[in-house]
Amino acid sequence: MKRLTVLYDGTCALCVRCRDFLATARTLVPLELLSCQSHEARMRDGAVPWLGEELVVVSDDGDVWAGPAAFLVSLWALADYREWSYRLSGPALAPLAERFFVAISSQRRRIATLFAKPRCEDGDVCRIPHLDHEAHSPRVPYR
Amino acid sequence: MDPLTIVPVTQSPFLVPVYVAYAVIAIGLTVGLARVLFRSGAVFLEDVFKDSPKMAEAVNRLLVVGFYLLNLGYAALIMKATGAHTTVEAAEVLAWKLGALLVSLGVMHFFNMYLFYRIRRRGQIAMLPPPVAPQMRLPSDTRAHAFAVRQAHEAQAFPAHP
Repeated sequence: MKRLTVLYDGTCALCVRCRDFLATARTLVPLELLSCQSHEARMRDGAVPWLGEELVVVSDDGDVWAGPAAFLVSLWALADYREWSYRLSGPALAPLAERFFVAISSQRRRIATLFAKPRCEDGDVCRIPHLDHEAHSPRVPYR
Repeated sequence: MDPLTIVPVTQSPFLVPVYVAYAVIAIGLTVGLARVLFRSGAVFLEDVFKDSPKMAEAVNRLLVVGFYLLNLGYAALIMKATGAHTTVEAAEVLAWKLGALLVSLGVMHFFNMYLFYRIRRRGQIAMLPPPVAPQMRLPSDTRAHAFAVRQAHEAQAFPAHP
């Protein structure tokens, strides 16, 4: 495995925050961060059934993880949190980690309103400027 | 009693023998344990520093030096006793001092083992596989094709600078 691609929800402010964190964190495996709404994601990994609904991590060998498993694999890629990925996948903490991730993932829009910009009805104005090069798809509002 | 008060030897005839016995036992124990740590630690560190055996030796020696310093220092600090008027009291004082020293040696020993564990873990962790098995496997040819297309796009959009 030479590289991991993390496919996150580009329309969710919480996910974009996490993506920014992953972009600057120290990694043991090179990470590529891609919005799942982007053209490239659809082209390369469109065959993945969870794309767009859950967090998806794809390795360059073709291994796919989705949901809580994808969360653990993203932790595994980070140098400072690899030990945590093993702890959270062990029998003691795995159910808790799974519940935690599913709760956050399903409530991500609500959590995003805590620190995101207010909802913009006109899709043109609210954009994430630094992600323009990723999203070749039609404009999506920043919620 | 004021710890700085000097107790005349005639009042505590057993104090000096207690001190001597304590010093001998303390130094003997520390040296013996340091040898055990050195030998077992060498095996352990050789595994951790597979590619640099000199590093393993160096780390081992440094840890043993630290062990000596802490333990002999602590033994010296707790040596002072207030008095030993009878043989019974002498035995009690000796037992108490040795007990305190052994407990501290035990704590140091487990701390050393924890340090070794952490060093080993740090070396190992970069080699371990992902914590969970993948849920799906994409056929490699479709991804390779898509990746090649993207590289072509990139070459077009960002031509290499001379």
